[in-house]
Amino acid sequence: MVCAGTACVSCGSLGIKKILEDEIQKQGLENEILVVTTGCNGFCGQGPIMAVQPDGIFYQKLTPKDIPHLVEEHFLKGRPVKRLMYIPPGEENPVPLISEIGFFQKQRLIALRNKGLIDPEKIDEYIARDGYRAMAKALTSMTPEEIIKEIKDSGLRGRGGAGFPTGRKWEFCRKTKGDAKYIVCNADEGDPGAYMDRSIIESDPHAVIEGMLIGAKAIGSNKGFVYIRSEYPLAIERLGTAIEQAREYGLLGKNIFDAGFDFDIEMKQGAGAFVCGEETSLIHSIEGITPEPSQRPPFPAQSGLWGKPTNINNVETWANVPRIILRGADWFASIGTEKSKGTKVFSLVGKINNTGLVEVPMGITLREIIYDIGGGIPGGKKFKAVQIGGPSGGVVPNALLDLPIDYERLTEVGAMMGSGGMVVMDEDTCMVDIAKYFLAFTNDESCGKCTSCREGSLAMLEILTRISEGKGKEGDIEFLEELGKAVKDASQCGLGQTLPNPVLSTIKHFRDEYEAHIKDKKCPAHTCKELISYYIDSDKCIGCGLCSKKCLVNAISGEKKKPHQIDKSKCIKCGVCYDSCKFEAVIVE
Amino acid sequence: MAEDKKGSVLIVGGGIAGIQSSLDLANSGFKVYLVEKGPSIGGVMSQLDKTFPTNDCAMCILAPKLVGTGRHPNIELITNAEIEEVMGEAGNFTVAVKKKPRYVDEDKCTGCGACTENCPVKKMIYPLEEEPLPILKEKDIQKIRAIIKEHREEMGKLMPVLQHINKEYNYLPPDLLRHISKELDIPLVAIYQIATFYNAFHLEPRGKHIVTVCVGTACHVKGAPGLVEALQQELNINVGETTEDMSFTLETARCFGCCGLAPVITVNENVYGKLKREEIPKIIKHYKD
Repeated sequence: MVCAGTACVSCGSLGIKKILEDEIQKQGLENEILVVTTGCNGFCGQGPIMAVQPDGIFYQKLTPKDIPHLVEEHFLKGRPVKRLMYIPPGEENPVPLISEIGFFQKQRLIALRNKGLIDPEKIDEYIARDGYRAMAKALTSMTPEEIIKEIKDSGLRGRGGAGFPTGRKWEFCRKTKGDAKYIVCNADEGDPGAYMDRSIIESDPHAVIEGMLIGAKAIGSNKGFVYIRSEYPLAIERLGTAIEQAREYGLLGKNIFDAGFDFDIEMKQGAGAFVCGEETSLIHSIEGITPEPSQRPPFPAQSGLWGKPTNINNVETWANVPRIILRGADWFASIGTEKSKGTKVFSLVGKINNTGLVEVPMGITLREIIYDIGGGIPGGKKFKAVQIGGPSGGVVPNALLDLPIDYERLTEVGAMMGSGGMVVMDEDTCMVDIAKYFLAFTNDESCGKCTSCREGSLAMLEILTRISEGKGKEGDIEFLEELGKAVKDASQCGLGQTLPNPVLSTIKHFRDEYEAHIKDKKCPAHTCKELISYYIDSDKCIGCGLCSKKCLVNAISGEKKKPHQIDKSKCIKCGVCYDSCKFEAVIVE
Repeated sequence: MAEDKKGSVLIVGGGIAGIQSSLDLANSGFKVYLVEKGPSIGGVMSQLDKTFPTNDCAMCILAPKLVGTGRHPNIELITNAEIEEVMGEAGNFTVAVKKKPRYVDEDKCTGCGACTENCPVKKMIYPLEEEPLPILKEKDIQKIRAIIKEHREEMGKLMPVLQHINKEYNYLPPDLLRHISKELDIPLVAIYQIATFYNAFHLEPRGKHIVTVCVGTACHVKGAPGLVEALQQELNINVGETTEDMSFTLETARCFGCCGLAPVITVNENVYGKLKREEIPKIIKHYKD
């Protein structure tokens, strides 16, 4: 099983597969060993990766050179290759089995249950794993009302971020009268640092199609759209293949399962606009008009695409539906917390040892995710905070590590579930810089319709930029808070209503860091360039000359074997010398 | 454009505030009567070059809204008219509107322009002259015809058509857009509104190699700003620009979704992950040769 998700393909996993097949043939093992490409396995930081089944042995960071040795040792002689296995950070012995790796152990898979197990380009493999059975059940033995009741009882909530109960949304749309109704799958995953939707489509596209089919039956729709980001070429290709195959098998089209039910899906591509993830903008984008959000009500369930009742759900929500129908609402509701049921997929990225995609039950603590699954922070640095929910979310600081994660708890501490991006930050990440980063993003992506969002984000960004340049004034923090509240209150769509969150939550939890920038003109994390300077500690410098060789602007000079100096007028503060010095002689302040 | 309208609203004054209110209300399902004293809507904003405080082009904001108001099925424009009397109470008003004569039957006028030619007092009536369509190469005409044919039946066809052109040409040649506007019967201003809204569309030609730096959150905390700086230095252009020899265009993107490899750049289709600033010159050199 060779992973062929975007990250692994980028590291050359397809080349590895080719060599693997050649080598297996060379050894005459082609009848015993089958090489399968799977969708994203989730352990993206270790790519290219591969699993050997049924033993469940996990190999990582493969290079073409490793393959002949691996085939000979493992497949021919039956001796798994220790050198290519995963070694947990800080330990010496490799962990051979996938089931014993901490990263996988605490996960509970529902939406991603087929990840790394099936070839996403083959419908038969999906069917072999109970695929389309839920749809058969829904189409032949359940009424729309029963389907909606099942989803309502399961407690499934929208996985796109806001967490609206899915069953209620469906019911609302079902009850609206209309000659045509539409189903939309929102795969416009715009949050930077989040890629669970991409991964679900790449590893298990049929689960999404099946979920949409069940939803269509419940609502009474005959036409579905998948709105997908154009930045995801592999996902687009796989979903296209899956739709084709489903049509060939009669699972999409006219009179499915002879149950007198027609349904087909069309794919629509975005063109790189963050606001299109907002449902009314998304509708306008599909219609081909300017994708500005519009007033709600009317909600899409009343008047959506081309004025018809429309139901929009996120990719992950759709992927959960078939399991709920097949295994029942009670089973699903038994997982999670009181108000948030089931699991959530997070992309665990940033300053963390095990980067990748994880699916965990609601209610799990941040500590479990970051230390047990994520393997902690690299380089022995201190954990500082985790940013959850992208540009609409906020930071959760060190002190709240034992917070159980669900929709309500995250909102309480000023963050947000969002689509599930988790960016881990260590002591070297500056909170003012992070707030500035997100504001620059939302300011750029604001469609400009509402003044509060367009001008408010710009005004906040200007203040933050000033603070990060050491020109902050007394009262700036209070003004940011006031402005943030105004933008929240006066904007029409989710983008404007949530864009102050990164600023407000960093102020809430890291006010001292803002004050250090404003009062002491210091950046405690040494990130804001205007507030730091580099110099060389002459006691520690042995004059090896490495830094002067690496310096891009020739700002470092000195005789060989004697302490060097940095010319501050030339220094562009890029930090290359700091990273390259082996004696910790370059100091940043 | 809801089918069951909820009631009707009368808006007095066809300036930018009146226009925007009309559009919002009409989109929420109300029937809107927009009454304007002058012969056309637009108000003061149409006379301005730029708007406070962002110095945005006034006409660029206004023009699509003018077209939108004119085309909206829920909006009835009553220009050259004034309110005489308002009767009734909240929720049930009757308004008398006095319409000044235009001396032309607006329902019958097709805008053919024959009256201007026959007008004894020359230039009292003057139509705007339509600019002739730019002349395209035969090859381009064939191409856009094929593209339009492919998407003609699709619902919401403008986006797929623009995406297709963008893919073929690497940008949206403005001359082609004018033809598209004619062929699809969509106002040019509406096409430009879409073309300038999305990050993926470009109105200027781009370089042979497209260098894109991911500036998603994970890449940001792992050093993407340094990569942008290094690339700007190496190529001697800013983000969004193309080198003079048309060989490189530098762009940024919000997340490719391979955060495990942060920080990441792509050159054309090739991905370079876990990149350090020092490695940039080597990569660029590879594409220069």
